[in-house]
Amino acid sequence: MRHVRDTAEAYTLLAPSLIGFLLFLVAPIFGVAGLSLFDWNLMGAPSFVGLDNYRELAADPEVWRSLFNTVYYVLLNIPAQTVLALLLALALNRRMRGGKVFRVAFVLPWMAMPVALGIVWSWIFDPRYGAVNQVLGMAGIDGPNWLTDPAWAMPVIASVNVWQYTGYTMLILLAGLQAIPHQLYEAAAIDGTTPAQRFFMITLPLLRPSLFFVLVTNTIGSFQVFDTVFVMTQGGPGGATDVLNFHIYQQGFQLFRAGFASALAMVLFGLILLVTAAQFLYFRKRTVYDFS
Amino acid sequence: MKRTQLKRTQLKRIALYLALFMGAAVAVAPYLMTLNSAFKEPARVLTTPAWEPAVPATLGNFAKVWSEYDMAGFLLHSLVYAGAVTIGQVVFSTMAAYAFGRMSFPGRDALFWGYLATMMVPQIVTLVPLFLIMREFGLIDTYLGLILPTAFGTPYGIFLVRQYFRTIPRDLESAARIDGAGTWTVLTRVVLPLSRPILATLATITFITTWNTLLWPLIVTNGDAVRVVTLGISALKGQYSSQYHLILAAAALALLPLVVIFLLFQRHIVRSIALTGLK
Repeated sequence: MRHVRDTAEAYTLLAPSLIGFLLFLVAPIFGVAGLSLFDWNLMGAPSFVGLDNYRELAADPEVWRSLFNTVYYVLLNIPAQTVLALLLALALNRRMRGGKVFRVAFVLPWMAMPVALGIVWSWIFDPRYGAVNQVLGMAGIDGPNWLTDPAWAMPVIASVNVWQYTGYTMLILLAGLQAIPHQLYEAAAIDGTTPAQRFFMITLPLLRPSLFFVLVTNTIGSFQVFDTVFVMTQGGPGGATDVLNFHIYQQGFQLFRAGFASALAMVLFGLILLVTAAQFLYFRKRTVYDFS
Repeated sequence: MKRTQLKRTQLKRIALYLALFMGAAVAVAPYLMTLNSAFKEPARVLTTPAWEPAVPATLGNFAKVWSEYDMAGFLLHSLVYAGAVTIGQVVFSTMAAYAFGRMSFPGRDALFWGYLATMMVPQIVTLVPLFLIMREFGLIDTYLGLILPTAFGTPYGIFLVRQYFRTIPRDLESAARIDGAGTWTVLTRVVLPLSRPILATLATITFITTWNTLLWPLIVTNGDAVRVVTLGISALKGQYSSQYHLILAAAALALLPLVVIFLLFQRHIVRSIALTGLK
């Protein structure tokens, strides 16, 4: 009897979140899978087309371009951000004056509104009035037209993200570094190892769980870049920054191709699952030491 | 011998601080340059470098975007949107987190894994169906349409609070139970007072995320009725892309409230970010 009452109580507490979960998360996920099999302009009656949307997107060069752009963005982003964050975390992983102030300063970009950053960055990289080309000009360099240059637009957009999330990544890595027992370093120092050896044989292996966490979550996030593209380039110039998320938005809500956009969304979802699984496998097969 | 060694460690220390200081400068510079330029007279925004102080300073740019371009309205709409989502998230995530973290009932683990699994689903996946649901209920261009999808608590929020609840000693709750307290009393009188740091963190992070959201408002609103600040300033940028004195003042107004909130709660936030990485 008590058991029944406990269960009822638990589900009462869960009820609101369960409604939100089922109605606004689970149902839409099934809905999008179903919609991807239809041809529909959001008005009138949808018509069933089977896998036609998937066939069409596989043959669409614009889809392939946006896929390529997305991967390019992730590759510009994640390595730069992770290496920078690791260097900062290593620098801050000691008792020092002002350590806390530096930490707050580095995390300050993390909570900035990406839309506002898009505006600020467009200005900083403005060919004539922006700070970057003004500084380059002082060094006698004629800076490019950053956001209207197909070769430079994507690196500029990626740099916004690196600027925004390096501090956040640094904080997580710093927590990981602080969890490594310092006796290990002392013992290794007695054994006459060099700092480089200690880094590769102690720090890096023991930091693996934290690195894994930031790589997975940052990669998932990067695959979904939208706001900065929307504000800074609208996918241009000439489709050079048309990433998957932006392409889905355009297909679904500007061209009203609900079925096609849903199929694209399924592809993005599949891609994220695939990359996450690959990261899992890669980190799984390495030894993880547990000191807890 | 000893002297040179001392010098070397000192040099190393100076180099370290120099590197950290440069990093911090890069992190803060865009904020400072934006704020600085927003105070400049319109002509001087284009003719002087971003780092040259705004002398003479003017409030004209702020005044113009505030009233003429209705930044006041955008900010108000965002405040209501982010405020309502934050309250819902904190209340409902806490309730669900307590059930998941502290009670045993059939289906608990399967359900919890279901919640966690959806954290990997990209936001864009649910967008078309969510739009259709809101259209069906006639909620396009309303606060309810904006708020509903995230107001019942997100898997992330539930996960964060549940992890914290599990660190609270069970004895405290047992003692209250023996005194005859029911689940609701235990939750509100015993557990919640001990959970202020994590609730402050969740509230801050939810407010920040919602305040910054572009994609959902872009889909579910299309008029001025509840236009939020992300939409307001991106439209402003589209319309006045070369009038930097206006769009920078608007960007500053969108960025600053969060800087203030962040600095107020930075202790909690910095600690909780560090914690999320440590499983």
